Amino acid sequence: MKSYVLGEFGAEAALLDAARTLRARGGATLDLHSPYPLHGAEEALGLRKSTVPLVALVAGITGAVSGYLLQWYTVGYAWPLNVGNRPPHSAPAFIPVTFELGVLFSALAIFVGLLAVYFGFPRVHHPVFEVEAFRSASIDGLWLSAEVEAGDADAVAAELRRLGARLVSVVPEGK
Amino acid sequence: MTTATKTIERVDPLETSPVLVGRPDDRALTDSLLEPVLGPTKKGWLVMLVLFGGGMAFWLLSLYMTLFVGIGVWGNNIPVAWAYDITNFVWWIGIGHAGTLISAILLLFQQKWRTSINRFAEAMTLFAVAMAGAYPVIHLGRPWLFWWLIPYPATTQLWPNFKSALPWDVFAISTYATVSFLFWYLGLIPDLATLRDAARTRAQRVVYGIMSFGWRGSARHWQHWRIGYLLMAGLSTPLVVSVHTIVSFDFAISQLPGWHTTIFPPYFVAGAIFSGFAMVMTLMIPARKVFKFEHVVTARHLDNMAKVILATGLMVTYGYVMEWFIAWYSGSEAEWFAFYNRVVGDYKLVYAMQIFCNVVAPQVFWVPALRRNVMVLFLVSVLVNFGMWAERFVIIAVTLTRDFIPGSWANYTPTWVDWGLLFGSMSTFAVLFLLFLRFLPAIPISEVKELRRELEHQDHHAAQGGQAVARGAHAERA
Repeated sequence: MKSYVLGEFGAEAALLDAARTLRARGGATLDLHSPYPLHGAEEALGLRKSTVPLVALVAGITGAVSGYLLQWYTVGYAWPLNVGNRPPHSAPAFIPVTFELGVLFSALAIFVGLLAVYFGFPRVHHPVFEVEAFRSASIDGLWLSAEVEAGDADAVAAELRRLGARLVSVVPEGK
Repeated sequence: MTTATKTIERVDPLETSPVLVGRPDDRALTDSLLEPVLGPTKKGWLVMLVLFGGGMAFWLLSLYMTLFVGIGVWGNNIPVAWAYDITNFVWWIGIGHAGTLISAILLLFQQKWRTSINRFAEAMTLFAVAMAGAYPVIHLGRPWLFWWLIPYPATTQLWPNFKSALPWDVFAISTYATVSFLFWYLGLIPDLATLRDAARTRAQRVVYGIMSFGWRGSARHWQHWRIGYLLMAGLSTPLVVSVHTIVSFDFAISQLPGWHTTIFPPYFVAGAIFSGFAMVMTLMIPARKVFKFEHVVTARHLDNMAKVILATGLMVTYGYVMEWFIAWYSGSEAEWFAFYNRVVGDYKLVYAMQIFCNVVAPQVFWVPALRRNVMVLFLVSVLVNFGMWAERFVIIAVTLTRDFIPGSWANYTPTWVDWGLLFGSMSTFAVLFLLFLRFLPAIPISEVKELRRELEHQDHHAAQGGQAVARGAHAERA
């Protein structure tokens, strides 16, 4: 049984310090919540580099190759048309569609990948939303959330208070 | 928060006015930026909605006539087979480009002044592309068969001809519309979550909750989001150039004098940015007044946009000059006549309007005082919009009236349906824009908050490290 411990902080520095301290303590999956990207959050949480660029690159190449093959197959092979005496397989004429499909595949992969894979959306409900005050996380609040074993929740809550959290709540996961 | 209230005297001559007025705290910033969405309906907004709604009805009537009677209701005929339909298409798609440009290229160059206007400009792109997309479809003659342009395994085994510029258009426009939408929506998600959390009614909370997919501002999400957003900007940058280049290929790969020129791709792209920035200005000036966005869309933004209009206006002028030069230098009689006909032919007034609006009018932006005058800015941006429409008309319709064989010459006169499609689409665009301003945050709230942090940081440094550090920090801001 897991629990979520939430703590609201008044300043960025205190929030990042708390994240570093709790991370050193171990035993919890930490996350920070803020209305804008926090500078230094990745370092404080020890996050690895994002793999989104790799996904975008692979998808882009896939799109460009399939775009070229589509054109080669359709007008170069399946239904060769003599228009203006251009050869059936005329590479320069295939560049625009190849490029557009590369961009399209890449952008779709980034969007769908971010939402479905990286963020696990659509997830309209999440334990952190149980705390009414957490609504400030998208307005002006700086929050730390720790996913811990239920037995450890009180200790982590006490630690958060000691680190300067203004507001601390514990949400059991099943709720 | 002590630095928030302190104002520091700026002595940098390059720093004319700030990109963000004051240092409001996050709560105040959110409240002020969400007021148009969560606050009561404004009377001016409602009046404009009804007014443009009438124009939209005119558009729908014109579309109805086109679809159920046929394109015979238009003034088009041989030799002018392309007239208002393609003119409007090229004009609208060009307007869309400034949105992507502001968002993508300025993001890549880390231009801080883009922050407050990017969402606005992107929405303009989406609606302009939607308007543009309608014209190639309805001009097909049998628009219900438009899907024949898409490659799919039909039983007839017939495929689109990929050696023609028209299927390129299909791919370019549909990719552009899709990518613009994804880019815009990705940027919107954090602000939709803000709207969900600041909502005053349950219905708002549910709707914005679903639209934000459950965004909770997690540091992990921000990390991937930022990179994804930046990459999307990187993809949009060559995309926007490719789209208008491909549109120009519709003309440039033909052999008609006046169309068959290699300068078309860059000249079309410059014209697109020119008209797009003018449209952003036309929409932004009234909107910032009505919705009180003056603290985030400052005089600095308008000043910078005026400079972009001046610069792209000069590029467009270069295009005009170069067209003339090549027409003369090629020694081609037909080519020279095409340009001669533009100036002294039956459509000389349209050409004069093009030159006055696109070449002469933007020159006022050399004077700094005029760049700061909102009325002048608005007037010139409206003129540029008209001028660019005139340019597209001159290129497309006027060229077609006079080709190689004098026996096939004929003039073109628009019908009321043509005018309905033009002014109706402007109204429909305005309606979409009004709905956007009322139901979505027009200014990217999370980005303005981040910007405020960065500016505060610089103020702090300036206060501590004295003038030398301050200058360095300000140079970064420009």
